[in-house]
Amino acid sequence: MSKIRMTDDRMDRRTFLKVTGAAGLGVTVSAWGVPKLLRAEPAPIKIGSVQPATGPLAVIGQGQRRGNQMAVDYINSRGGIQSLGGAKLELLLGDSESKAEVGRSEADRLIQEGAVMLIGAFQSGVSMAIATLAEQRQVPFVMDVAALDDITQKGYQHVFRLFPTVSVFGETGVAYVKQIITEKKVEPQRAVVTNTGDPFGKSQGENFIKWFEKSGLPIEIVDHITYPLGIHDLSAEVAKIKAAKPDLLFPVCRPGDSIILTRELHKQRVPLMGIISPGSPGWYEPKVIQDLDKLVYYVMDNVPWVYPASPVYQEANKLFQEKYGTYLDTNSGYAYAGILVSADALNRAASTKTAALLQALRETDFKDHPMVGKAVQFKENGDNINAATAMVQVLPDPDPNRRVKVVLPKEFAEADYVFPAKQLWERE
Amino acid sequence: MTRRHVFFAAVLLVLLALPLFLDKYALGIFVMIFFYAYVGQSWNVLTGYTGHISLGHALYIGIGAYATTFLAQTFGITPWIGMLVGGIAAVLIALFLGFLGFRFGIRGVYFVIMTIAFAEITRLIVSHVEALGSFSGIFVDFNPSFWNFQFRGNLPYYYISLGFMLASLVAVHLIEISKLGRFMVAIREDEEAAQALGVDTFRCNMFAIAISAFMTSLAGAFYANYIYYLHPNSLFGMALSIELILRPIVGGLGTLFGPVIGSFILTPLSEISRAYFSKGGLEGLHLILYGILAILVVLFMPKGIIVYVKRALHPILGTTNAE
Repeated sequence: MSKIRMTDDRMDRRTFLKVTGAAGLGVTVSAWGVPKLLRAEPAPIKIGSVQPATGPLAVIGQGQRRGNQMAVDYINSRGGIQSLGGAKLELLLGDSESKAEVGRSEADRLIQEGAVMLIGAFQSGVSMAIATLAEQRQVPFVMDVAALDDITQKGYQHVFRLFPTVSVFGETGVAYVKQIITEKKVEPQRAVVTNTGDPFGKSQGENFIKWFEKSGLPIEIVDHITYPLGIHDLSAEVAKIKAAKPDLLFPVCRPGDSIILTRELHKQRVPLMGIISPGSPGWYEPKVIQDLDKLVYYVMDNVPWVYPASPVYQEANKLFQEKYGTYLDTNSGYAYAGILVSADALNRAASTKTAALLQALRETDFKDHPMVGKAVQFKENGDNINAATAMVQVLPDPDPNRRVKVVLPKEFAEADYVFPAKQLWERE
Repeated sequence: MTRRHVFFAAVLLVLLALPLFLDKYALGIFVMIFFYAYVGQSWNVLTGYTGHISLGHALYIGIGAYATTFLAQTFGITPWIGMLVGGIAAVLIALFLGFLGFRFGIRGVYFVIMTIAFAEITRLIVSHVEALGSFSGIFVDFNPSFWNFQFRGNLPYYYISLGFMLASLVAVHLIEISKLGRFMVAIREDEEAAQALGVDTFRCNMFAIAISAFMTSLAGAFYANYIYYLHPNSLFGMALSIELILRPIVGGLGTLFGPVIGSFILTPLSEISRAYFSKGGLEGLHLILYGILAILVVLFMPKGIIVYVKRALHPILGTTNAE
């Protein structure tokens, strides 16, 4: 081994002691809070995000992660959590693989790695498993997306949710229908509900009917048609719809069957005042808009939606597009909002302790989010009081990417809605 | 006391003392190791020893989970009793399935298809029964207490699942050395020859499927009160049926310690690789790794890793009739 040569600026033991002593003093002084510049940057605050990053929902899960991560980057670019000395946020990533037990295990790992809060988990089942874990480990869990009511009906103290529940979907959807027929002074008498036979389709369809019947609207649901997901021919179902002579059609569709259904309605010339979906992805997906073109005009869909006019959305969407080449949609928008709400709570709590965080979350009143809906405020059970759906409508626009517009509620509307719509075969 | 006894006592002591050194997440990994070792062992009783392949064993987990939870949430019956009721229900269904299969000579792929069909039919039925949560599943109430089989920390789950695994080892060992066990192996090797030698193969097969179903269903009760969420697709689905047979296959089919060794390898591998690749932003790579490992084992270690473990432990355990 070669000798270490210390030249002119050699450090003898005495100098070494002086230097280290001074440094030690500096550390001590800064620990007492005097010279701020000497103080090290505060340790990052860890938030654990569990999303279905692989498995059948991988594409959505990746979007959710991106939404979470973008918001973390945004908060950090604004100087982190101010009340905690500008501490940066750090997102710990977990993958639920769409399985409840994996989601639970991943959340447990993230807690072990120091997550002071959890966020996720897109699917209600996985969210439920994590909610119970959050209760067991006493760590706050903010659900960005998860819809089944039951999760917040267990009396858990550590669970909060931004997304509208299934009940909110039903209640708001029916309220919009009421508003539309009142404002347009039309009197539809009969309606048909259709849905796919998978869990999502069935629960959306049945839940809508439940709220519809509760509302006392003078419209009779004359038929409720269920068909399997992935069906290739709906001619018999549409013949049934036609025979029922409805004024309104309430279809719960996925992007495949919505196309088949609309083409068949066109072919069989079923007269309708309008098509209003109780809430399903079959009507606003770019592929559907492209394929159906004029046929999908005027279809309305009751869905949680981003608020394109809000500056928060515009800023986030711009960054999202730059970074990932796609727009911030409903789900990733909620993922983004979930982190903003968590950061806001951390800031007000000025602590990472559970008790302080829970208190801060309960007092949340957060309006600077990119979604349709008023300020996020949590009820006793953790649900967002102002979680809302929007009524969107496909309206004519030369640019297919700009055809889906928020039309209700009025304060968020980008355009006036058209109702009753022109019949499908009259749109040349 | 032989060297073998000393070795097993030492392993047991280590497992008993391990929680002293583990955090909650690591405890959780061990819970899953024991859980899958137990379930794999339960499946092993039927498929490993008698050779009748069941690809629908999730059925019994589902029955155990749903029965226990339904009884607890509707009638307030403790899961400790509920799981026995679930076990009996699983046995009855297994006996019906077994009766059809073994009495009418449904064998080979046809038996496999029948086991899948039973699980699928049950999945569809449960998906449409409102009282069982229908397609939304059941959200299990969380009221921690020993009586409710629910706990805040992972420590009780650790010891319960360890207990399950050890009990299954003892049970299967007793079966292995019993007359029934010998008959079962005889059936696996050549059912007709066994029959010709006077083995009541129908009876043995029925015993095997009943024991296997009962044991598997207890795991369902554990699952329900550990994960707190039951969904027909995840509890009766094909994915779980396959997941639970991987460990005994990788470890060593039809051997006492195969499922345990398989679980000690596959479960941490899946957990740790997922955690590792999640961080690196390489989501999904762990699933590929998992798949590659399963292929390699089947290709190069058709009798399971147990053969190599036995060889490695040979200096400690002395001679074993390594298969």
